[in-house]
Amino acid sequence: MVDVSQHELVPEHTLLDEPEIEDVLEEYQVKKTNLPKIKRRDPALPKEAEPGDVVRIERDSRTTDTAVVYRLVVQ
Amino acid sequence: MTDAEALPESFEHVDEATEALVEDTELPRRLKDRIYGAIEENEGATAEEIEEIVKAVVARYEDTRVDALDPVGTVSAQSIGEPGTQLTMNTFHFAGVAEIDVTQGLPRLIELVDARKTPDTPTMTVHLEEEYATDRDKAREVVWQIEATKILALGNVSTNVADMQVTIDLNEETLQKRWPTYDDVGEIAEEIQDTIESELKVATKRKGTTIAFGPEQPSYRELLQLVEELREVVFKGIEEVSRVVIRKEELEDRDEEEFVLYTEGSAFGDVLEIEGVDTSRSTCNNIHEINEELGIEAARETIINETHETLAEQGLDDVNVRHLMLVADIMTNPGTIESIGRHGISGSKDSVLARAAFEVTVNHLLDAAVHGEVDDLDGVIENVIVGKPVSIGTGDVDLRMGSGSAMKSADD
Repeated sequence: MVDVSQHELVPEHTLLDEPEIEDVLEEYQVKKTNLPKIKRRDPALPKEAEPGDVVRIERDSRTTDTAVVYRLVVQ
Repeated sequence: MTDAEALPESFEHVDEATEALVEDTELPRRLKDRIYGAIEENEGATAEEIEEIVKAVVARYEDTRVDALDPVGTVSAQSIGEPGTQLTMNTFHFAGVAEIDVTQGLPRLIELVDARKTPDTPTMTVHLEEEYATDRDKAREVVWQIEATKILALGNVSTNVADMQVTIDLNEETLQKRWPTYDDVGEIAEEIQDTIESELKVATKRKGTTIAFGPEQPSYRELLQLVEELREVVFKGIEEVSRVVIRKEELEDRDEEEFVLYTEGSAFGDVLEIEGVDTSRSTCNNIHEINEELGIEAARETIINETHETLAEQGLDDVNVRHLMLVADIMTNPGTIESIGRHGISGSKDSVLARAAFEVTVNHLLDAAVHGEVDDLDGVIENVIVGKPVSIGTGDVDLRMGSGSAMKSADD
């Protein structure tokens, strides 16, 4: 199987734990469902991700050095 | 980030005080580095000068940031739309790299924002692992595993109507070239024979590298049909890929050259499985295949890259990449790729009036009436329709003037 995370187009995906999710939602003043989504079967997701989890994505940005975004794992 | 990490190269004329000053600002890395670079180029500056420079850069940076309530979507739409009018409306072929046929200009841009399932001209850029990338023969091996090999590339096919027989005379040299892992040509011919038997469901006879077969019952029509089908059978490689071009390219970071493959047709998932393919750099131009194999984030990147390249190809790369990033963000927001337009983003707006204003007005209004939909009038379009101020820019700010006398009297 191909290790997708090594591809240059794929940024790093890390799962957040509960308190970290709270911090993110607090920071942006949004509900979990307002976050952009990512499918459960997305090949770049960590294997243990479940619907309802939030992943932190650290992109190599074109406009700054890195840009951090969050996506909600959905079915 | 420590300071040692922050500075990619040491600057002779940048002292610690300057570094502290610059690092303390909210500027992005890129701009910080450019300040260092500028100081370095001018061989240092006085502390006051540096402070001036940093202040000016920060002021300029903050000036260019998006204000609260700025209609970024509308600005992006205009910023892509205007150059779009200058794009060629014809599909120009054979431009770009390696005489591979690629759709360009407006048709390609439309294809991208419409999120078509397959592009008009699918293509892959296949990078190779080091040992394959520097050796032409090894690169060829990978090519034969990707490019679909049909019977006409392997030998002569003759149809004998009198005997009701199709005879294939395989070319030994070609066989050895395309199946380098086999020692014996007979084995290769046997494999081809097996493929024919299972694909066409006929009994075949083989003698050396000559394979013959015919319809069970003598039938002129069936014989011709067999030949027809035989031409379509893929003996080696990936069915979707009709052509592969090898190109020698200079590496970006080093002063070396490597072989890169460009394909006509794409099957990204299959190619990633092939040995010798560099799975960290190979890409394709089908955003759905990228989404399938590498995930939504890679698809987002590909949308930005492809739209940017399409514009750049026609000299329109002065479109700020932020606009393209916004488009890609919106398209990938639901975790799948949504098109911009009636079936995608515009069709999934909350407001009935906004949807009705876009396309198929009557259907949207009728459906909304049937379902008893309510419009909250939050967006721009619905407020334009009803004639209220739009909740964007200055339209969202309420100003109340306190009258001097009233305040005085309250104070009293």
